[in-house]
Amino acid sequence: MTPPFLRLIGVTKQYRTRRGIEDVSLDISSGQSVVVVGPSGSGKTTLLRLIAGLERPDAGEIWLDGRKVADARRNLVAANLRRVGFVFQDLALWPHLTVRGNLEFVADCSGIEKTRRAEVFDQIHRQCRLEADLFERYPHQLSGGEQQRVALARALVGAPHLLLLDEPLSSLDPDLRIELRNELASLQRALQLTAVYVTHDPDDARTLADRTVTIRNGRLV
Amino acid sequence: MWGWRSSRTVVVFAAATAFVGACVLPPLFMLSAIAVSSAPLAILRSALLDNRQQSLLYTTIGIGSGTAAVATAIGVGLGFVLARIALPFKPALRIALIAPAALPPYVIALAWTHIAGSVAFTAIGAIVVLAVAFSPLSMLATEVGLRRIDPRLEEAALLVTTPARVLRRVTWPLLLPIVTSAALIIFVLAISEFSVPGLLRVRVFTTEVFTAFASLYDFGQAAALSLPLLAVSVVVAGCAAIGVGDRLVTSRRPVRGALADAFDGWRWGGAVAVGIGIVTMLGVPLAALVGEAFRATSIVPIVRNSRDAMINSLSLALLGATAVTTLAAVIGYARARVNSTSGAVLDAFWIALFTVPSTVVGIGLIRMWNRPGALGAVYGTSAMLLLAYLARFVPVGALGVAAFVRSVPDSHEEAAAVAGAGWLRTMTRIVLPQIRIGLLAVWVIAFILAFGEVGTSILVAPAGESTLPIRVYTLTANAPPGQVAALALFQAIVVIGPLALLGACLARRRTR
Repeated sequence: MTPPFLRLIGVTKQYRTRRGIEDVSLDISSGQSVVVVGPSGSGKTTLLRLIAGLERPDAGEIWLDGRKVADARRNLVAANLRRVGFVFQDLALWPHLTVRGNLEFVADCSGIEKTRRAEVFDQIHRQCRLEADLFERYPHQLSGGEQQRVALARALVGAPHLLLLDEPLSSLDPDLRIELRNELASLQRALQLTAVYVTHDPDDARTLADRTVTIRNGRLV
Repeated sequence: MWGWRSSRTVVVFAAATAFVGACVLPPLFMLSAIAVSSAPLAILRSALLDNRQQSLLYTTIGIGSGTAAVATAIGVGLGFVLARIALPFKPALRIALIAPAALPPYVIALAWTHIAGSVAFTAIGAIVVLAVAFSPLSMLATEVGLRRIDPRLEEAALLVTTPARVLRRVTWPLLLPIVTSAALIIFVLAISEFSVPGLLRVRVFTTEVFTAFASLYDFGQAAALSLPLLAVSVVVAGCAAIGVGDRLVTSRRPVRGALADAFDGWRWGGAVAVGIGIVTMLGVPLAALVGEAFRATSIVPIVRNSRDAMINSLSLALLGATAVTTLAAVIGYARARVNSTSGAVLDAFWIALFTVPSTVVGIGLIRMWNRPGALGAVYGTSAMLLLAYLARFVPVGALGVAAFVRSVPDSHEEAAAVAGAGWLRTMTRIVLPQIRIGLLAVWVIAFILAFGEVGTSILVAPAGESTLPIRVYTLTANAPPGQVAALALFQAIVVIGPLALLGACLARRRTR
């Protein structure tokens, strides 16, 4: 039997002022698309941040692609070495860099050779349906949908093994939300990416999920 | 409902502005007019172009640039440690690192004369002392700037590269405007400083203005010498304020998650940097003063003779801080509620006013109030010292209050209005209670600044009356060093007490 691509074993993370997650165990197979649903403050974002290596678990273990990447109070593999793409809820596009600058930065850090970048960007811009003329614009000069696409493109540039998306569609109007949701679903299937989405929208869950898990009060139910 | 939409806000703001305007602006306008009209072109030319004045200009600019560079180098490092590295007892460490800025600069200068001897009496010595005094400004600006950066921006980069590269490629470009602005403000404060170059006998524009007025009684020359200093201060400070923009009015973000973890490996380095900073900038100068004070054969007579000056200083600083805070509360509230463009202009204006050299403010006040009639009745009384505090410190107080008022959403006032609360009740029950720590902070800062003020006070103090800073400053020339050190030490203790109290209040609020 193939071992899971991502495995969480009894992971706990608590904060002083807000709830984290408690004893979460979860297996996700390679290429699977898992949607985590739950009410606000239930620990969904904490779960993604732990997987990405942006937080350290208080207890438990996290395994990624057969490697233990974190255990109690330690990140054994730093965030930048986990090959994870992350689309933040507020997108976190770097405001002092153009769209190209945002993508270049990741390409640079991921060791993509300069000679290959045009090809990679071309592929990414087709996949994410980014207009070519957006590349020289700054994030504040883009519409909400364009920013969303750029954030997704940035997460994909480094060819991640795992894609994490924290409520990626929450700030969009309903029409655009449906359009991007369908695009995301087809992109994930085309790339065969292992992906974890966080959302509290049932329609998002139905469209994007191979499997849905529910988190409530920090626990999987 | 309230804010600028209330006629009462407008009336109260207009009254406060008129009062402050009467203290601050007319003296400066008058000074400028005199410098241009009564001082003939020849004075201006000699003031600006002869060799002596040119060397004065180079020394002034050199001290300003050197101070800005050294203070920024120290401040950026320490600010980064405070914002990004998890250290135990951080609130206490922050207070200890801020303390050098709260001590009157001439107290630090006095301490360094005991540490470094004759080396301190040079332009380099002045740069070191002023860098110690002003580096906390750069440190705080850096810390605020780093906390203002959305942590997601750095986290997004941490997913693909190392913390050091994130700092260089993402954090630093976002931080640069506020660091540059802080450096410009430090430059202006350094060229405006009078007490340190005066005490270290380094000739710069501010000391020349003082000499021209107090020793040579040459008002025209003093006014002419003030003009370039005034112009540079206002222009550079205005640019700095525009560069800072809305960051002056900011909120704190806690360090947590990836950012705290990413710099875990730097914790020891950070702790060592903070330790060195506290020891060299605070511990060593205070120890030098203590050592010198204990070496004195008798400090009792000098302390007894300075009793009136001590009481004067304390009572005037208490009164001055209260008056400054009251006016700053009104003006700061108005600043917080205007739109961002007008707000940026007001910020530039306030910063420019705050950086006007103390000796220039002093001469302007004398020119305005030393005349027959009702104004003359005020001149020659201690009220002149209060006016000096208002003129110098209301601008910075207003900026401080504005920062805190901005943390109170408009909707809080609107909800109170909808609930039927009147203007006064909304202010006293909704707004002021939410900014009480801010008001306390402004009061403490105003008290510290007023208690240490010397450049303006020495010019406007009534005959026969003295404050502690004036006494310390004048005694350095003709009293045994140990006795002066004892008085300076007393000043340092009075300043550090309220600062520690404020730190404790802020730390308590944060843990709630």
